[in-house]
Amino acid sequence: MERELFIRELLKRGAERGVSADVCYDNGSSFEVQVKDGQVLEYNVSDSAGLGFRVLKDGHTGTASTQILDDDALEQLLDGAVENAGLSESKDARFMYPGDAEYPALDLYNPALDAIPAAEKIDMAKRLESLALAQDDRVKQIESCAVFSSADARTLTNTLGLDVSMRTALLGGYVSVVARDGEKVNTGSKMFFTMDPDSVDLEAVAKAAVQEAVDGLDGAPVASGKYRVLLRRDVAGVMLRTFAGIFSADNAQRGLSRLKGREGEAIAAACVTLMDDPHRPDSASSAPFDGEGVATYAKSVIENGTLTTLLHNLKTAKKQGCETTANASRPSYAAVVGVAPSNFYFAPGGADFDALVAQTGDGLLITDLQGMHAGANAITGDFSLAAKGFVIEDGRLGRAVNQITVAGNFYQLLKDIEAVGADLEFRVPSASCYGSPSLLVKELSVAGK
Amino acid sequence: MLTKSTAEAVLREALRTGGDFAEIFWEDRKSGAMALLDGHVEAASTVRRHGAGIRVYNGLNSVYVHTNDTSLTGLIASARKAADAVQGDTPPFDLHLTRSICRNLHEVRQMPMDVAGSRKAQLLRACDLAAKGVSDEITQVRASLSCWDSEIQIANSEGLFTGDTRVYTRVYINAVASRGGDSQSGREAPGALMGYELFSGRVDVEAAARMAAQRAVTMLHADACPAGRMPVVIDGGFGGVIFHEACGHSLEAAAVAFGNSEFAGKLGERIASPLVTAVDDGTLPNEWGSLNIDDEGVPTTKLVLIEDGVLKNYMVDRLNGRRMGLPSTGSGRRQDYTLAPTSRMRNTYIAAGEDDEAEIIASCPDGLYARAMGGGSVNPVTGEFNFAVDEGYLIRDGKIDVPVRGASLIGRGSDILTRIDRVGRELRLAQGMCGASSGSVPVDVGQPMIRVTDITVGGR
Repeated sequence: MERELFIRELLKRGAERGVSADVCYDNGSSFEVQVKDGQVLEYNVSDSAGLGFRVLKDGHTGTASTQILDDDALEQLLDGAVENAGLSESKDARFMYPGDAEYPALDLYNPALDAIPAAEKIDMAKRLESLALAQDDRVKQIESCAVFSSADARTLTNTLGLDVSMRTALLGGYVSVVARDGEKVNTGSKMFFTMDPDSVDLEAVAKAAVQEAVDGLDGAPVASGKYRVLLRRDVAGVMLRTFAGIFSADNAQRGLSRLKGREGEAIAAACVTLMDDPHRPDSASSAPFDGEGVATYAKSVIENGTLTTLLHNLKTAKKQGCETTANASRPSYAAVVGVAPSNFYFAPGGADFDALVAQTGDGLLITDLQGMHAGANAITGDFSLAAKGFVIEDGRLGRAVNQITVAGNFYQLLKDIEAVGADLEFRVPSASCYGSPSLLVKELSVAGK
Repeated sequence: MLTKSTAEAVLREALRTGGDFAEIFWEDRKSGAMALLDGHVEAASTVRRHGAGIRVYNGLNSVYVHTNDTSLTGLIASARKAADAVQGDTPPFDLHLTRSICRNLHEVRQMPMDVAGSRKAQLLRACDLAAKGVSDEITQVRASLSCWDSEIQIANSEGLFTGDTRVYTRVYINAVASRGGDSQSGREAPGALMGYELFSGRVDVEAAARMAAQRAVTMLHADACPAGRMPVVIDGGFGGVIFHEACGHSLEAAAVAFGNSEFAGKLGERIASPLVTAVDDGTLPNEWGSLNIDDEGVPTTKLVLIEDGVLKNYMVDRLNGRRMGLPSTGSGRRQDYTLAPTSRMRNTYIAAGEDDEAEIIASCPDGLYARAMGGGSVNPVTGEFNFAVDEGYLIRDGKIDVPVRGASLIGRGSDILTRIDRVGRELRLAQGMCGASSGSVPVDVGQPMIRVTDITVGGR
């Protein structure tokens, strides 16, 4: 069945059953090419589309979704969503939104990017691989090298009159290299992503990956103990992503964050400001409306150390008696509505990277963290993670470090930030995007020798 | 359904530009999830996924295209897209599909998607009550049920035309214990490749809920784990994640074929302590990581990876098998039709040894006892791994002493394998989801209790 007809029919039948209903329709295409030794190794192309249907009945929602739009699917969606709403016993009322008068005009779809021919992207991947191989004699092996692109569209419609849509397109790639020196082996990788094909600097990407691998070759553990730690910008971004859930009002209301009711309190060092900006250019995580169709806006979550707000959707805002911050998440058409940031980042400070190293004095620079999905407790904020990096002695970078763990607590870390760098960098955008400048932290526990 | 004539037409189109092998993977999947938070059904959802992936090889190069449009026109259009990316010189060859029915090792009785929502809610409520009954310190329980049935069909240009229906049922219990401003959580998540009958005999959900709750309470009263190098006793069951992460991934052909593994080129060599025999078995009846056929249509096998410390086999899929000159071991897996398959683990475990569990602790120098492990990850190139200890205790004077929290274990796979000095008698398995380039797939990890002479333990 034709898509618009299907959606109209679905909403009409929903209304006939006496429920409010919304439809989230996502469709997109993606491309990825992996190269090896100058040849195409794997080439993946897809078109995908899916429809999520949500009904609201007596304050309860139920969802069902499908990737086929036929007559059977129509009835399955209706029956499934209505049954699921009937099963819900949640004490918190859900809401649907009629839409705003105006939405921000964001330029997230660059037709030039969508029009790049496959041959050109294959060529980019080959160039990235050969650039990586040309940087250093110790790098003779590429673990993986790829260029990818995607274009996605979303339409949100409901029985209350909401009808909004958006499109994004993104180009990216990555290279992961292996450096060897005798028995020593180390890997390094770098990813890029942009909405502007002219901004891609493949040589810089190759250099960064190779440098990561080569510089870490001589890595060895340091003695166990407490260290002053400089978290490089990318690692600080990983840390923020891991613990971003503590800023969700949904988690706070469920007792899964210690920030419940602490708006207005100092929860971080005065140099810390945390932003959520859904309008950031060049990010596929930007959007004019959130997962419930509410117009988005930029906000600070921490301002100069003080918690200004948690992130809300319609349900959590109503429960707390405030306005939604337009942070309703719906990472895919099939997902249940939750809460998530858009582009979430620590605002940059004034110090450049070398100044931060100098300010560290004696300590460690951390350039890699692993094991976030297991070694970090998103409720308590505790973490204990495998790490790599460099010794900092007398304010200068020293030898490479590996096979250590870094442990601490994120709530404490927020308070222990002594300086914030100027080198803000964002991670790969997906449903949400996280960014940070490098952060100097007073003290973390290190396990090594 | 994918008909034979459609499959043949699609494969022919895919090979139009001289590819030497083509495959279509068709899938129709219905899944349902229900979550109970503090005794109330919080969310219920139903998802129908449907589509097909088409793959073409030209020598060692692979093209993959997937689509939701499984009409003849939709599939032919996708096959054309795949063919357009291939410039091969294989002349057209005879293509004739013969339907084959796979052996069924994994009987299913009750399709979980058909079970009434009210019955599922009742099961989750029982979990909630059992967990809360453990202690007044249990402040929150989240119990959820996830089930799906996936009907697949696979056809390839070698004439294979087969299919299977896979049915999965799993319950997740997460209990949070709190005191003052402090909280700790414990989780258990038993599941199987079977229907709703999972809960009539095979899995006692209330016992699992109590175990999760008890772990949260124990850890709430635990001090921070000391950091440093020490001997570590890792208990059976999910403790097998150490082998999965530290060694299993490095034995997948996807890593070995390109030399991206510390075990590449070491078949027949000693890579582990002679006490270690390790197996990857896709045939264990109804186990979470089992299958009748893999996602390339190859029957699954019981594969000995390491025998008495000597490397015997890698886990091989079709494409990496071509790269390595090895036959498939039935290890080609993918999350769903949207991803091309690659070599993956199934149920991977260290086999039972001969050491007495009580003696393993009693003879252990002061160190760490990891009763329950969390997840972890590994860099297959360097073998560097890390994983979290969910429930740990100090070992003092040959006895299990006070509980400790926040411990993590790091090291290199090749290093740890040679340092295993005890392997217990009782093999236990546990369920997990394993993520890699072909997505997230159900796997079992497992082992008896083992002891490692020293590991770097991260703590505070």
